[in-house]
Amino acid sequence: MRKTLEKIYMALILIFMYLPIAVMIVLSFNSSKSRTVWGGFTFKWYVSLFQDSTILNALANTLLIALISTLAATFIGTLTCVAMSGMKRPGRAFFTGVSNIPMINADIVTGISLMLLFRALHFDQGFATVLLAHITFNIPYVLLNVWPKMKSLSPSTYEAALDLGASPFLAFRKAVLPELGPSIVAGSLMAFTMSIDDFIITYFTKGAGFDTLSTMIYAQVKRGVHPEIYALSTLLFAAVVTVLLLSGKVRRRSGVPKKSSDYQKQRVKTKILAAAAAAAAGAIVVLGLLYGGVFSDAGNKVYVYNAGDYIDPSVITQFEEETGIEVVYDEFDSNELMYAKLAQDDSAYDVICPSDYMISRLIQEDLIQPLDFDAMPDATQYIGQQYYKSAQAFDPGNQYAVPYCWGTVGILYNTKMVDEPVTSWDILWDPKYSGQILMQDSIRDCLMVALKKDGFSANSTDEAQVAQAAQDLISQRPLVQAYVIDQARDKMIGNEAAMAVIYSGEAIYCARENPDLAYVVPDEGSNVWIDAWCVTKDAKNKENAQVWINFMCRPDIALKNFEYITYSTPNVAAQEEIEDEQIRNSPIAFPDQSVLDRCETFVYLGEKADRMYSDYWKKIKSGS
Amino acid sequence: MKKELIRLDHVSKSYDGQMILDDLSLVIHENEFVTLLGPSGCGKTTTLRIIGGFEKPDTGKVIFDGEDITDLAPNKRQLNTVFQKYALFTHMDVGENIAFGLKIKNKPQSYIDDKIRYALKLVNLEGFEHRMPESLSGGQQQRIAIARAIVNEPKVLLLDEPLGALDLKMRQDMQYELIRLKNELGITFIYVTHDQEEALTMSDHIIVMNQGYIQQEGSPEDIYNEPENAFVADFIGDSNLMKATFVRDGLVRILDTDFPCVDKGFGDMKPVDVVIRPEDVELVSRGQGQMPGVVSHVIFKGVHYELEVQAGGFEWLVHTTKFFEVGTEVDIRVDPFNIQVMNRPASEDEEAISPEDEPPVLQE
Repeated sequence: MRKTLEKIYMALILIFMYLPIAVMIVLSFNSSKSRTVWGGFTFKWYVSLFQDSTILNALANTLLIALISTLAATFIGTLTCVAMSGMKRPGRAFFTGVSNIPMINADIVTGISLMLLFRALHFDQGFATVLLAHITFNIPYVLLNVWPKMKSLSPSTYEAALDLGASPFLAFRKAVLPELGPSIVAGSLMAFTMSIDDFIITYFTKGAGFDTLSTMIYAQVKRGVHPEIYALSTLLFAAVVTVLLLSGKVRRRSGVPKKSSDYQKQRVKTKILAAAAAAAAGAIVVLGLLYGGVFSDAGNKVYVYNAGDYIDPSVITQFEEETGIEVVYDEFDSNELMYAKLAQDDSAYDVICPSDYMISRLIQEDLIQPLDFDAMPDATQYIGQQYYKSAQAFDPGNQYAVPYCWGTVGILYNTKMVDEPVTSWDILWDPKYSGQILMQDSIRDCLMVALKKDGFSANSTDEAQVAQAAQDLISQRPLVQAYVIDQARDKMIGNEAAMAVIYSGEAIYCARENPDLAYVVPDEGSNVWIDAWCVTKDAKNKENAQVWINFMCRPDIALKNFEYITYSTPNVAAQEEIEDEQIRNSPIAFPDQSVLDRCETFVYLGEKADRMYSDYWKKIKSGS
Repeated sequence: MKKELIRLDHVSKSYDGQMILDDLSLVIHENEFVTLLGPSGCGKTTTLRIIGGFEKPDTGKVIFDGEDITDLAPNKRQLNTVFQKYALFTHMDVGENIAFGLKIKNKPQSYIDDKIRYALKLVNLEGFEHRMPESLSGGQQQRIAIARAIVNEPKVLLLDEPLGALDLKMRQDMQYELIRLKNELGITFIYVTHDQEEALTMSDHIIVMNQGYIQQEGSPEDIYNEPENAFVADFIGDSNLMKATFVRDGLVRILDTDFPCVDKGFGDMKPVDVVIRPEDVELVSRGQGQMPGVVSHVIFKGVHYELEVQAGGFEWLVHTTKFFEVGTEVDIRVDPFNIQVMNRPASEDEEAISPEDEPPVLQE
């Protein structure tokens, strides 16, 4: 009985620890993009993983940073231990204390202070600053492992070597270093994992166009993590397990050998292995340095700041090839984060792609500049006039922004679960669908639904109207299954909910995966959102930025991007060239003018109204 | 007279303002087993480390074979050390440990192999070449440490309390082993210990130290039989140490009783210290001795009985092969040759040389 309980307990622990990883591994072989539907076994994500230059680039950066920072931190940390062992007690106590602080300190504090330091010293944020940051936070992990061993080593070990005729350096290398060996390896392994693991510090110290895996994946979250990432994570997991098994084997073998010949052989083997590992590490570092472009100098560049996963990566390469302008490409995961970076230093990027309401704010705060449309003939020629007209809501004279993607917000519903025709937002308040409704977890989108239902403007700043909308949403809460962002896709595809408030781009994707799903923009009207290219006020490369924007407006490029992102393109010429007839004529992707006419774009409401919205949003979320 | 090998010339050393060695001078001869003996903190290990080159004296010189080596690095000195905690290299096997010094000197492999075999034979551990140090007992590890040192053919072997971590039986075995080794190798051993019995057993020459000063040096017999001061008397062996008055040449007053002695020249009616070894105190029938007493405690020690006798208000420690019951009334008798009279430090300076913790002494 007791035995069985023990086994069950053990099994529970194992499940608790490894089930998440198992789920991820399974999903990496799922041919459907959904996280809930099994579409059959496939290797395609692994194949496309190795074709995705963004991921490979981030992977290379991650490994390179981890490797170099580990080597540097191990070297510095070990020498620090040597120095500390020669210190008197108060000095040691001070040093151990000081070296622990970066480890205990919140990452966010370390990250921000490093960022401020780099700014103050006028360092260009990128590979070098991230590397320095990683070395900084890795040193304590080396100390943590090496120092206790160093402390336990009797000083006579070193003195004995001196006594036997070794010079101080030789005595350290032959007598002390081998004793420290295992703890140095342990320390560097820990540092290596910490470096790969780090997100926050990297995020604050990285600059434009530089990403590690963690920052890249984070930038993607907004629009859903790609299955390629599952594949990559699976490979990383497999690599870690292999390393663990190997190191265990080596350790077991390095026990007391039985025969002297075995011992010698093993010695030779270990040495060859060590030499091979060192050579490989060296090669990776050198190649990486070249690849990482550490030595590349400033030239003909354009700094692009776009939303995560919001371009076909091959378009960037094509742009570089055709124009000879080097693209430094960086991604943000929300308009607010982009705004924060820009407010700090708007000259860090030349061309950005914010959303409507953010553009009106950037204009108000003088962070973007008027464009020279004569330099961008394609922007005038191929972008439909109706989109410029909609854009006037946030860019009154059409001076600042060239539309890039757009879409509507509507209701995605499952025709098998909803019998009646959906025409009004009211259906989201129908008790019949209690527990079957998904709402967007976002202030403006959520309040827009209620404001429109009540017949008000989606940009209303009238407190009475907003209060009424908020009250409606509170009364709706019991019916809502969940407030979600991108899980709406999976849940709808997996038939887990009957209806969801969703963006049209997502709706296209869902309808393709699950033919029972239909999308409608309710009669009361809705939000039409537009993301558009703008040039920052203090852009260093304004001309290149306009070359970029013009390039994005070329029909073949716009088509490529449309096929990659699936959000509606305002490029009329590109719309006509869409091969798939169903999509070309899709009312979801390209609704007729009447739908657009009853939709509004969001504008920036000003700080006071922003606060009012936030206050009501808090009430809605807490249900009171 | 043997040839002088090492000379410490007015050496002083202090740490953090605390004086460890104060103007210490000593001479060590070739082919001698010299022991630095003293309680912990007496400066004996510091002296050894100065000879080994691990510490530099603040002032003074170290002369080795006629050459000033005060500033010479330890790896350049013709001597080797056996450390207290063995200090074997745990990542190397026994053979590699022993070969360490020879490899650094780039000796040919065949020479090294011969040396390893020879050294292991010398310390009675043949066939241990490929064992790892951690698989050996403490005594075996210490022998390897010795083997590792002697293959370098040093002129001097420094041993820093090498038997301190061993159990009693092992310690006694190793004592004989060390004497044998010293005789076979014909080199100088400088041995540091706080164990007076170890010092008496092995040494040709003992240097007794306390608080950075040499208290006395000489052969084990000299040190034991004729301690020059109360500290040495108390530190070496068991003793009855008392304050006394030197009445005149050949007569000393101990506990208000006059005892004939052989010492001369301390001056008339001068305060002195006297030491009488427990085995030199004779117990005779009441009326036949010099001072009456009563047996207050008896312990059987194997070879002899250890007694405490209350006499003249002092608790005498007595070793005798005869048994006395507790309460037996006896007389104490001491042969004049067995009373060791010593100067009592009078001035402040002299006082510093004497031990800090005063031995149990009665008022005269």
